[in-house]
Amino acid sequence: MTSPRIAVVSAGLGEPSSTKLLADRLRDATLRALAAHGQHTEAVDVVLRPLAQDIASHMVTHNPSEALAAAIREVVDAEAIIAVTPTFNMSYSGLFKSFFDVIEEGQLASIPTALGATGGSARHSMVMDTAMRPMFSYLKAQVVPTGVFAASEDWGSDSSLERRIEREGKELADLMVALPRRREADPFDESGEAFVSFEQMLGHA
Amino acid sequence: MSSMQFGIFSVSDITQDPTTGRTPTEHERIKGWIAMAEKAEEVGLDVFAAGEHHNPPFFSSSPTTILGYIAARTERLILSTATTLITTNDPLKIAEDFAMLQHLSDGRVDLTLGRGNTGPVYPWFGKDIRDGIELAIEHYALLRKLWTEPVVNWSGKHRTPLTGYTSTPAPLDGVAPFVWHGSIRSPQIAEQAAYYGDGFFHNNIFWNKEHTERMVRLYRSRFAHYGHGEPEQAFVGLGGQIFMKSTEREAKERFRPFFDVAPVYGHGPSLEEFTEATPLTVGTPEQVIEKTLRFRDYVGDYQRQLFLVDHAGLPLQEVLEQIEVLGTEVVPVLRREFDSVRQAGVPDAPTHAARVVAARAAGTQLGEQGGAWSEQGARSDLDTGAAIARQGGDAA
Repeated sequence: MTSPRIAVVSAGLGEPSSTKLLADRLRDATLRALAAHGQHTEAVDVVLRPLAQDIASHMVTHNPSEALAAAIREVVDAEAIIAVTPTFNMSYSGLFKSFFDVIEEGQLASIPTALGATGGSARHSMVMDTAMRPMFSYLKAQVVPTGVFAASEDWGSDSSLERRIEREGKELADLMVALPRRREADPFDESGEAFVSFEQMLGHA
Repeated sequence: MSSMQFGIFSVSDITQDPTTGRTPTEHERIKGWIAMAEKAEEVGLDVFAAGEHHNPPFFSSSPTTILGYIAARTERLILSTATTLITTNDPLKIAEDFAMLQHLSDGRVDLTLGRGNTGPVYPWFGKDIRDGIELAIEHYALLRKLWTEPVVNWSGKHRTPLTGYTSTPAPLDGVAPFVWHGSIRSPQIAEQAAYYGDGFFHNNIFWNKEHTERMVRLYRSRFAHYGHGEPEQAFVGLGGQIFMKSTEREAKERFRPFFDVAPVYGHGPSLEEFTEATPLTVGTPEQVIEKTLRFRDYVGDYQRQLFLVDHAGLPLQEVLEQIEVLGTEVVPVLRREFDSVRQAGVPDAPTHAARVVAARAAGTQLGEQGGAWSEQGARSDLDTGAAIARQGGDAA
């Protein structure tokens, strides 16, 4: 590990993708806010579209391709994640959900997280609170209060989008500084705290 | 018996042959297993291991019945399991069934314990899947008592208490069957195997080798921690999966339609991707030899290698051919090559005969006249009450 990293997960399907665009803006805002804290952080893009088939294969075989295994490592090893999805049928896209479904349970506990979503109109904006937040609560991630939803019109008009992006970036940076993620101990590390000895299993220790 | 044992294991799936559209009947598959076991012995393999399932499309619900039948039709083959469900089976029945099989087969039996991976089996058998690890720990502790103590008084969390229970028959020659513990990725099970100095088996099939590697490394390290010997003296078994023809191209052409729709990994990655990432080998016997020899690179010298050869709808004739090639062309080379690089001090694969000799030397044998319990003198009558009273008296 070199400097701390933020994994920026985006599940847009278009090229170019407004979902990726929002993810980039949230990333830049976060990095600026971290710099103001005196922290130099790297960000790594995890774009899901090229991994779509690998994710589906992993679901049916438990066997990640090298590219997918590398993407999963980027996310679970990161100090924070920014996760952005397009809105499909009132929820995150299946691709977005599937990627998090193939990550082993517990791997994202306590990770500072910023959420974003895109959609055709602001009428879809509840996706953040009805779909994304419940899922990240289940994953035991620490999610910042602001979630930026960008409707198509936000990209053209003089909307508050930029201000909301800046606010969410600051919140993620603040959270990373104040409550950095706690690493789960490795249950295969005999001297680590997550290791359970047989005496403990028998109730003798 | 050489230092390593080679054999076949099966999950007992009944699957349509995608090249003909024909699905074998349960009866055909059950009888097919007998033919496979007989062929395995005929071509010099050492082990036949039966899976256990309690739901279609699998047929192997009653492994000791089928293994008992195979025992009667073979002379040398070791009968094993892959796996026996330690969570949902009553440990009393495991103790009794496998001791009985041990007598009938003259000691040609060991077993691999597993937790099972079919969720509904737990409630069907009155258990809770959330207790999986706890059940494996508690049930096995009881199983060991039943195999080593003439009269068992016991109480635990997951089973009704026992007072004055004698598991019959006693283990053959007063030495219980060797036990392997199987798990894909639960460190607790590697720890359990290490604690008792039992064997550890990894199915080594569906996952990348890193899973196998870290489980075996932990098991070996803890085996030494608990004072059973050096890490390299632990007992490791691996699975694997192969399909062979005389050319790689022919093997891939023939196996691909089965692979592409196989129940467990079909409709997923390509055959090429899967063979690259997992232990599956589809090719020539030489390629199987080459890949299998490399397993040693990540688990060390090990004692048992089992291959899956009969799944995904492969017809029996094809399976018997695979066993033939395995026994005549692959295993003789593997034995020679593994032996030539084997480190000094690595134990041989466990056999009943060797374990009896070792137990006699260590003074842990329970009796050798074919009736260990009565030789123990702990119980010569059939009156349970008297036995309990006597044990109570011993304790006081």
